Amino acid sequence: MHIQEGAFMKRVTRNIDPSSARDLLERVPRACLCFAYDHWPQAQPIVLVWHDGRYLVGLLEEADHQPDSNQEVILLIDEGVHYFDLRALYIRGQVKQASAPPEAPAADCTWLEVVPLKTVAWDYGTLREVRDER
Amino acid sequence: MNVDDPAMLDVIRRCMVARIATLSRNGRPSINPLYFVFVPGHIWLGTVEWTLAARNVKADPRVSVLFEVERDRSPHRILRISGRAIVRTDPKGQRSYNLRVARKYVLTPGGIRHYLAHLRQLKLRRHYAAQNVSTGQPCVIEVTPLHAEFLGDEQLG
Repeated sequence: MHIQEGAFMKRVTRNIDPSSARDLLERVPRACLCFAYDHWPQAQPIVLVWHDGRYLVGLLEEADHQPDSNQEVILLIDEGVHYFDLRALYIRGQVKQASAPPEAPAADCTWLEVVPLKTVAWDYGTLREVRDER
Repeated sequence: MNVDDPAMLDVIRRCMVARIATLSRNGRPSINPLYFVFVPGHIWLGTVEWTLAARNVKADPRVSVLFEVERDRSPHRILRISGRAIVRTDPKGQRSYNLRVARKYVLTPGGIRHYLAHLRQLKLRRHYAAQNVSTGQPCVIEVTPLHAEFLGDEQLG
């Protein structure tokens, strides 16, 4: 098939505006933090509190590994089992020390703030065609 | 702990979405939620060759995988496995993975109800899958566990 330069193709996307997935930050179905530690990828389940637009992450004090200040991390909040129910917020950022938020659960946690550098979100329930300029 | 431990196998069997953490060639972290199946000695996670998860595994085979059973109040519901992974693109492995995934996610009462409720979106799903395959073939990330542990799930619950 010949595609004219400047023509519009259509592609299917799962991506959504991250603001459309804000409910995930309020309900937090599944959340984890990923970072490198001693050259191994670490995946830690976390307590997430979204407070005044800040991403506050509680890591259990018994967690064997924790990221250093300013280290690059991924904060993933996702939900769903079946295909069209799968949704996620994927936040790449850096961590810094933080104090426990007022609504922190009782668990003994070390609190960090994830300062986002890039955020993407997806929702397979909103698969749709979009124009894709070639 | 050994991954053959019955409590660990129980979590792996009941978990529906695994999250696999990987590192890029430059050591940058990434984590992706993926469908998976358990085969004796391995965890198979399905994706496409161009994804960050697959590219990272090709660059660095060390992975960490989280398994969490939702809506479960039993004492052990979050399991983490560390291991080494390879990316498999062989047709036999892909066929075996597809059959197992269909049995786990589609050919169940919940799966059938889900797809019947989304019949109108299936065409888009097919287009999306075809679009992904046009940029890289489907693959299976095969994880060989080296270490497994239950995490502090009661506090996180």
